Order: sequence, then structure tokens, then C-alpha cells
Amino acid sequence: MPELSKMKKPDVKVVLLGDMNVGKTSLLHRYTERKFKDTISTVGGAFFLKQWGPYNISIWDTAGREQFHGLGSMYCRGAAAIILTYDVTNWQSLSELEERFLSLTDTANHDCIYALVGNKVDLTDPKAHQSQDSDVASEDRTDSEDMRTEPQLPTPPTSPASLSGVMLQKQVTPEDAAALYGRILRYKGLDETSSQPAEKMCFETSAKTGYNVDSLFEALFDLVLPSILRQRNENQESPTVDLEECRGSSNKRAKSSCC
Amino acid sequence: MERDNHQEGEAQGVKISDPPSVNNPPGDNLATSLSLLGNHMFPDVAERNDGASISKEETPVSLCSDVTAEQQSLDAELHSNQVTKLETEETENSECFNDVCTQQSDGGSEGAATDNDQSDSGEFVVTMLAKAKLEEQGIGVKGRSSPLLEAGTQESPAFMSHRDEDVTAESWRQHRKHVFVLSEAGKPIYSRYGSEEALSSTMGVMMALVSFVQSGDNIIRSVYSEEHTVVFLQKGPLVLVCVSSSRQSERQLRGELLYVYYQIISMLTQASISRIFEHKKNYDLRRLLAGSEKILDGLLNLVDSDPSFLLAAVHCLPLASSLRDSLSQILQKAITPNLVFSILIANNQLLTIVQEKTVIEDTRLEPADVHLLLNLIGASSAFQAGEIWTPICLPLFNPDCYFYAYISYLDPPECTVCLLLLSTDKEAFYAVAECKRKIEEAMVAQNSLSLIAKVQSYSVSQVGVSDLRHFMYKPFDVPDNYRQLTQFTSPEMEAPYSSEEEKMRLLDLYRYMHSRIHSTSRPLKLIYHVAERETLLAWVTSKFELYTCFSPLVTKACAITAITKLLRWIKKEEDRLFIRYPPKYSTTPNPSKSSRGGKSDQQDATDNGFLSLL
Ligand SMILES: Nc1nc2c(ncn2[C@@H]2O[C@H](COP(=O)(O)OP(=O)(O)OP(=O)(O)O)[C@@H](O)[C@H]2O)c(=O)[nH]1
Ligand SMILES: [Mg+2]
Repeated sequence: MPELSKMKKPDVKVVLLGDMNVGKTSLLHRYTERKFKDTISTVGGAFFLKQWGPYNISIWDTAGREQFHGLGSMYCRGAAAIILTYDVTNWQSLSELEERFLSLTDTANHDCIYALVGNKVDLTDPKAHQSQDSDVASEDRTDSEDMRTEPQLPTPPTSPASLSGVMLQKQVTPEDAAALYGRILRYKGLDETSSQPAEKMCFETSAKTGYNVDSLFEALFDLVLPSILRQRNENQESPTVDLEECRGSSNKRAKSSCC
Repeated sequence: MERDNHQEGEAQGVKISDPPSVNNPPGDNLATSLSLLGNHMFPDVAERNDGASISKEETPVSLCSDVTAEQQSLDAELHSNQVTKLETEETENSECFNDVCTQQSDGGSEGAATDNDQSDSGEFVVTMLAKAKLEEQGIGVKGRSSPLLEAGTQESPAFMSHRDEDVTAESWRQHRKHVFVLSEAGKPIYSRYGSEEALSSTMGVMMALVSFVQSGDNIIRSVYSEEHTVVFLQKGPLVLVCVSSSRQSERQLRGELLYVYYQIISMLTQASISRIFEHKKNYDLRRLLAGSEKILDGLLNLVDSDPSFLLAAVHCLPLASSLRDSLSQILQKAITPNLVFSILIANNQLLTIVQEKTVIEDTRLEPADVHLLLNLIGASSAFQAGEIWTPICLPLFNPDCYFYAYISYLDPPECTVCLLLLSTDKEAFYAVAECKRKIEEAMVAQNSLSLIAKVQSYSVSQVGVSDLRHFMYKPFDVPDNYRQLTQFTSPEMEAPYSSEEEKMRLLDLYRYMHSRIHSTSRPLKLIYHVAERETLLAWVTSKFELYTCFSPLVTKACAITAITKLLRWIKKEEDRLFIRYPPKYSTTPNPSKSSRGGKSDQQDATDNGFLSLL
């Protein structure tokens, strides 16, 4: 098999979990494509490969629909980081994380890190209306809907607020999220003192405006690096896995954060 | 309406028979209950002139002569003057009252309908569906009630979701074809237009109707009114209902409902659906289907606009056989254990299919399974970057098992060429993704993508018959010695069938011809149909099924000559028009791994965790 055809072996796996409609696909779009566009409810899971400096990070964007519930643990197998996503305007989406999604993470790595992400803060917090990223125009919704499905409104507005500019009631506070984070650590049997603190692992984001999206992914990628290094060491002993050497990619986003 | 306009070729069409004999048993509680039910739930139903409000149909055929498929003994005698009839079939107690007619199980006896007092029950269902008001008010009324109705035919690019439609609006009633899915317990599962919540009482009435008829050991099959045909289909714990003003035959409509059912199965499997409802009769299946509405919406739009569904055959993109062969070979070489199908699609049309030997030995892929797959891909993955890995069931192949589908576009960002790899192994993602990389690489080496990009469908003018405007040709078994996918070929629809309305009108004509050809009571081999704006000829032999459309001035003799020419042309082009020699590969070390039939070694529905949700 020629060299070229080898799949860039992912060094590490990151999984997005959370109820349908909370914005997992939108977050990933925002991060990888720098825009907010119409989405279709995900089927199964979608696999993406992201270059992070010399590393290949695989990201699984999973479907939140109950229909695909049973697959979650498969996507999570061997994960180094799991992004548990909820919608700040929807309390139910937070409790679903605990009731439905947490158990799926049992197949993740034992040192897997967990991030709690409250998306759609643009609906509740004026501050989320500016993205910190300079390259983001905040309302660049593109209309690249599937032509075969019936034409649609640009997604039935999740809430009237997105149209009128009226702020919505926030149903989940950062404190709620931090409390859940504590329960997750306990569920995992992890020691709070030796784990990442809640302040560091709970995020509020807006895929729509881009608010906090890069910080989320970048912080996570930085945190999973030890996991990558450990895996590389393990892999050196196993001849079956062929590692592709870093090909000096000049990813501008690699920054100094990659050791 | 131009039904008087047509003349038959050698064969005769179905005759409109005399009004059926009147056979009037005494007051029966079915009909009574129906009207009670109606009065209870829809007090304002009153007498509503159903016909008046329906936008003019463009279908050129009158349904007065329709044949209710399947029940031969009865069919020929019924209809005609009868405006409404409610037909049920089966079992000992044959109840005949008013316009309700049931068929006895012992066959022969007349389940005759009567004409008197025909306004209530059957009509009522239709009326109530058209009227669905009261309780619903205020629930589903978020959207505007737009007068932008699809005047009987095409789906105008509405800019609102059909889910948000006001179910009390006239425009809602005027949809050409409604489809509802409900559970046996009467829980709404899906509605094509308007949200299921808003329609829950309507669905409740439908279910009450179904179960009432059932309680007498009968099965409700269809209800007719002047303007609408209501068709019921019960599959396991699901009840599917179609309310159509499209003038299609009952059999065609039931076929469409079956596609809807199978698409649901393709997402959940039959086994898991029955298990779920065994555990919990009033389970709300929308929990599992939430987010899948678009897939069903997309399916119904396709069913209306793509003749593949009517013909139960697959339409592949015409391709030089050398190119098709080279693509097949690329797929054939990129394999991994448990890979069973490799399918290449461009613009939602098949380029090629390669299949695993052992799995397929005893069978072939059913066109319906391919249709469902293509629809699922179109509706859920279109224009997505990334590689999708999702379970999917091919209901006709095996309704109880999942395959795992790998879906990826080969030409981002355009996303027109799509690769679909099906494996029986849930864990095979990385191995299958590796196959894609091999395929991608080979295609780059052979410059396949740019060759594919140049491919297009063909024009009827290439046939070189001046009066021929369009045709659909479905050979039975191409070539004879390969049991393979049923296909058909058809040119682009060109002027005068370029607008959506005209396309739909032509399709309706074809649907009419199809229903005549396939009428169970009186199947025909050849129909010559002179319509107002065109002349159609449909012909079925042991070798093929052919539908042709000519300009209106063509003579019968001309049409026959034209068809001879056309058949010769197709013969000459068949290597290009069809996937002729589907290649195979072998990936299953152990032949018993075939996922077909009884005991399969792959995960079934339980594995997807449905039961834990109950
Ligand atoms: N206002 C606002 N809307 C958002 C945001 N993120 C996503 N949405 C909207 O929320 C809806 C769902 O977004 P998706 O990204 O498809 O949700 P998902 O979590 O991937 O859903 P599944 O794939 O079904 O699990 C879409 O209509 C988005 O436009 C956000 O940050 N702000
Ligand atoms: Mg998604």
C-alpha cells in the first residue's frame, strides 16, 4: 500500500455528547469552518480529523437523538476528552447529560477529561454577542441546505429571542454546571483535588457568535496532550499501529501551546 | 378532466359498472358509532361541501372509474355513482350498511354497498380530516396560514417548515397528499404537514375508527369520497394513513405508505419497534424518531416526484461502460472484512454497486432498499464534511438487523459524489474509512472525479424519434442471466415538461397508466391513451414495462413505429444505460456471517439501547 493512502492515524479522540438540538454540530462547524450555518440533525456520528500542531486529533460529533443512544458508548471508546454539551436555555438538556449520556462515557479512557459546555449563551447574555475571534463575522449564516429535503426556514427559530433580540431566561447557571461537574467526578470515582477544577472545565459558548468556542477546543486540546504523549509511548511498543510522523504542518493555530 | 377523451388500444379499460345492487341490512352500529364519534369530536362537521373547497385538480383522469385494488371479487361491482364508500375486508360477520361495506372471508358473496344515506360515516372521515378543528385550535397555530398553497401539485419552495403549519387553515386541508403515522394506541407519530401534537385528536379519531372496525374482526382499508381517497395500512403496531386528492389508485397509495413504513424500519428496525410496543403499548415513538421528520418529509417529496418509487426500480446514471467498469473495479479492490456493499452515488443517482458474494448469493438488493438508502443519505448527510458512521437497516433485506453505513463525500466542498460502504460490523469504522482512502487514491490516479463530473443524463432527442417526448423503460432482468437490481431508464424531462407543474402532470399521467396496467381486477397489457395535451402508450411484456409520451398529434401507427425504434435504440445503448454486470467481492471469511435471514450474528435492536428507554 503506497504511503499516501495511509490514514492519518488519529493520536487522540475527542467526543461531543449531548441532547439533540443543543448545538454540537454547530460548535464544531464554528470551530473548524469559522462560521455558523444551518445544520441537519446528525445521524449516527460524524468523524472529523483535526490537525493540532504535529498531532492528529479525531473528533466525533455524535447524534443526540435517542434513536442512536446505543452507539454512544462505541463512539466514546478510548476517548481522551468528552465534551458534554447542553443548551443554557433548556434545563432538560442539562439533566439529560446526567441521565442519558454520562453512562455512555464508561468506555472512555480512565484518564479522560470532561468538559461541560453550555451553548447558546448568545440568547441569554449580551456579552456573548461579541466573539473574541477577530476573524468571525457574527451573522454569517449561510444557506447551504440540502436541496432534496424540503426547503425550510433557516431552522425554526429555537426561540423568538434569536429573531427579536430579546434576551431569554437562562435556565442553567454556571453554578448548576459546576455542581454537575462535581457529580461527574464522583461518578467516575475521581478525586476532586487531583482532577481539573470546575472553573477550568465548565464553559459557556455560542456557536452562533463564536463566543468562547476557540477557547473551549484549544483548552481541551492542550489538556489532552499528555494523553497523546502517553499513547505514543505505548504505541512504540506495538508494531501493529503505524504512526505517521508529523509532517511539519504549519498550522497557524498550533501556537506555542503545543509542547 | 378528460377521461372521455381517451380511447383504448387493443385492450379495454376498466369499465364503470352500474350502481351496485342494493343490499341493505338493518341499522348497524359501526356506522352509527362512526357518526356518533364524529359528532362528539367534531360537532361542527355538519354538512360540509367537501368538493367546493378543494383547489382544482390538474390530474387528467377521473377517479370515478378507479379500481380498488386487491379485492377483485368486489371491485368491479362497486364505485360509480357511489360517492363514498368505506371498504373493509375479511371475516365472518359481514356488515353491510349504508356506505360501509365489508367483504366476507368466504369470498363469493356480495359485499355490496348502497347508495342511500351516503353522507355520513365514510364521508365524515374525509370531512373530519379536512376540517380538523376544535381541540386543535390554538395548538399548532404558530405559523402563518399562508395562501401559498401548492395548488394541488407541486411543493412550492415554502419558506416555513411544514411542522409549523396551521392545521386549521384551509391551505392545510388543500395539500394534495397527507400522510399520518400513529401507533395502535392512537398516539401520533408523524404527520407530513402540521405538527403531530396539533393533530392528535384527528389521529385519535382515525385510530378509533381503525380499532372499531377491528373489533368486528375486520380491517379498514380505504375510504372514498368525491375528492379524497383515504387509505389505511396497518403494519405491526403502526397504523399509516394517507389522505390523498391525487387521484392515484388505492394500491399505489398503499405502496407509498409502505415506503414510509419501511423508512421508519430503516431507522429503528422492525424488531425493536415491536419490542418497544410489546413492553409499552402507549410508548411515544416520536422520542426515537425526533429529528427524523425531515427524512420522512424528504421521502414523501421523492415519492411524489421521482418515478423510481412507482416503478420499484432504480435509476442509474448513464455512463460509458468502460468508466463504470473502472469505478466498479476500484470499489472491488478496496475491501475489508464484513464489508457487504460498496455504492457510489453522484447527484443522488447510482454510479455503481459492488456487493459481497456470500451475502448476496441467494438474493439481490431490492430497489426499495436502495431508494430508502439514497433518501436517508440525501436528507441527513447532504453537504456534510466529515465521515458519517451510522446504523441503518435495509428492511427488505432483513427488517430486524442493522448494517453500519459509512458515508463520505469524495469531492468536498461540492459534495456531489458520495461513497457509501455498508458493513455488518459496528466496530469497523476505521477499517472502512481506510477503504475510502484507497478508493479516493485510486480515483485520483484515474482522474475519475472529473470524468464523473462530465456525466449527465440524456435527452430524448438522442433517440431520434420526433414525436416522442419522454419515456420510462424498465427491463425485467438485465441481462437475463444476472439476478440483479431492477433498474429503469428514462431521459430528462424536457419541454413541455420543464416546469414543476408540468412534470407533475406527466407523472400523474404515468401513474394513471401504471394503475391501469397493474389493475388487479383487470390488468392490461397495452394502453393507448389520448389525452388533451399528449398521447401516451404503455406496454408491458414478459421482458419489459414501457411508458411513452408522444405529442398529441401522433397517430397510433406512428407511435408503434416510434416504439420499435426506441426499443432498438435502448438495446444499442443498454451498456451505458444500465449497470450490466455488477461485480462482486468476497470479504466474509465465514459464509455464515451472512446477515440475511433468521439468526444473525450482528447486534440487533436491543443493542441500540431502546429497551433501556422504556
Ligand atoms: N442561538 C443559537 N442557536 C444555536 C447555537 N448553536 C446551535 N444553534 C441552533 O440550534 C439548532 C441545533 O443545532 P445543531 O448544531 O444541529 O445541534 P446538535 O446538537 O448537533 O443536534 P443533533 O445533531 O440532533 O444531536 C440549530 O437550529 C442551530 O442553528 C447557538 O450558539 N446559539
Ligand atoms: Mg448534530
